[in-house]
Amino acid sequence: MAGLLEIHHLCKSFDTIKVIDDFSLEVVEGTLCCLVGPNGAGKTTTMDLITGRIKPTSGKLVFAGEDITGQDEHVIARAGIGRKFQVPAVLRDLTVRQNLTVAFSRQTNPFFNLLRFNVPGLKDKLDEIATLAGLTHRLDERAGILSHGETQWLEIGMVLMQSPRLMLMDEPIAGMTEGEIEKTARIFKELRKSTTLIVVEHDMGFVREIADVVTVMHMGSLLAQGTIQQIESDPRVRDVYLGEQEAA
Amino acid sequence: MGNLYYNKTAQWIAYAAFFAALAIIPMRIDDDFLLNQLATYGVYGLLALSISLCWGFGGILNLGQGIAFGLGAYGMAMTMQMQSQTVENPIPPIMLNNGLDYLPYLWWPFQNTASGLIFALGIPTLFCAVFGRIMFKARVSGAFFAIMTLAMLSAFYTIILDQQAYTGGVNGITPPSPLRLGSFEIDPYSSVGYWVVFFALLIATVVAKLITQSSFGLVTQAIRDDAERVRFLGYSVSGYETVIYSISGFIAAIAGCLWVMLVQYVSPAQLDVGFSISMVIWAAIGGRMSLIGSIIGAFVIQGGQSYLGDAFLSTWLLFLGGFFILVVRFLPNGLASLVEAGLGLIATKSKTATSHEPNGAKPFPAE
Repeated sequence: MAGLLEIHHLCKSFDTIKVIDDFSLEVVEGTLCCLVGPNGAGKTTTMDLITGRIKPTSGKLVFAGEDITGQDEHVIARAGIGRKFQVPAVLRDLTVRQNLTVAFSRQTNPFFNLLRFNVPGLKDKLDEIATLAGLTHRLDERAGILSHGETQWLEIGMVLMQSPRLMLMDEPIAGMTEGEIEKTARIFKELRKSTTLIVVEHDMGFVREIADVVTVMHMGSLLAQGTIQQIESDPRVRDVYLGEQEAA
Repeated sequence: MGNLYYNKTAQWIAYAAFFAALAIIPMRIDDDFLLNQLATYGVYGLLALSISLCWGFGGILNLGQGIAFGLGAYGMAMTMQMQSQTVENPIPPIMLNNGLDYLPYLWWPFQNTASGLIFALGIPTLFCAVFGRIMFKARVSGAFFAIMTLAMLSAFYTIILDQQAYTGGVNGITPPSPLRLGSFEIDPYSSVGYWVVFFALLIATVVAKLITQSSFGLVTQAIRDDAERVRFLGYSVSGYETVIYSISGFIAAIAGCLWVMLVQYVSPAQLDVGFSISMVIWAAIGGRMSLIGSIIGAFVIQGGQSYLGDAFLSTWLLFLGGFFILVVRFLPNGLASLVEAGLGLIATKSKTATSHEPNGAKPFPAE
């Protein structure tokens, strides 16, 4: 099976500093890949490169057979890549309902949208996602007043509204309670059946529970890749990442 | 029961009440001069509406709305000027006085009234589309975009001032007779002029309101909130910004045309930086997130300027400045937020009280 997302020899330098150094990765459709690594390993930068927020210095990104290298954010998003940010980014002045409605971006043409007041299929999808995210009773609240956990959920909900083929989740459980983390793990496992996910996460317990494949980054390069058992027994990974964590 | 301020039906009722009130005026007033003056307030209302759409709902602060207004006004003045030229006397006096004995190409489209009006509205809109496209594609936003519009405005001002033979220079253009549409003459000092402005404002407001309620309007509000985030949802932010900026420019161009129709005069003063900034002040004081609030803001400030300004002379500017500071400091969303807060209070009260009345609040003129 070919990879849904293929990253070929990706490099990104800021001035003379190589942040991403010859990083290659293949994400197979229908799997959940966890991207781990110490702070500054380049995980979020990789996310930025995949979604077009920053353009690579060299290398190639192929999504579903299409070359998406250097495309604008909205083009990549339309191709089917949804993203949740590390610092939850929701539209704080809009209501929860409006946030989810905007995220339901089947039609993105401004002229077409000028004449559209009812979006077909929106209501069912919105009800489904709001229930899943546990935000049904908060739909008419301003997103800015939600708690941190709810904000995380809203942003995950927004990504789900997009129904992307590939979801990038940057630290989705940061600031969540134990119960919320369990729920997130359950949902991610459910999502894996129908879609592909890349999850950046520090919580190894969470990674252990959800990951099909774990990719370890270090200094902008691929350090190791494999199942969670392989990774946890890899001495190099223990050195640069897991060991550090246990010591901390 | 929620806050009536956000109730769409209540909003439409408030709009209907507002325009009904405006429609009663010409039936009550017999003074043609006063009617003409009130009609010019309607033009200012259109401008405030255009700013509210662009800034309040699109998050694009535009300090150069005078470009669209001015180009529209010049287009209309040129059309009206050409209407009064005859076969024996085909060249307008501003050219003859400046040693030009032929009609420049710039004026050709305005020889015909229909094509003149199309150009008067089309050129400013086209300018906004092209300028907006270039700026927004390069992700110029916020204060930087505001500065660019200001620079553009000054450039237009200078060019128009400088090209005396084509534009009349500092004296501008003073068409000798009112606008004629076919055989019908629109007398600016009559209720006809008022009604033309009234319907323009009514239609523009309804269209603008529908835009804010459409999917497009929701996306622009999302962009106002966090443009960066919206890109990752698949929307072309620059595309949306260009469209709302152009629509706003189109409304300002209509305002420019109507203004010249009312006063039969245009000069570079209409592209003065101060005037464009006043448009932003109207919207800020009235409430930029409320279309109707912005329109009322324009009425209040311009009305105040006409009546109090005459009494207090330049002290009026001090009042205005002080008022502006107060509003920005204590009511960042303008006077409309007073209505919002008031209705919110009523909503909370009726929630706590065990009242059997299904609807405790009156429909205020709310956005």
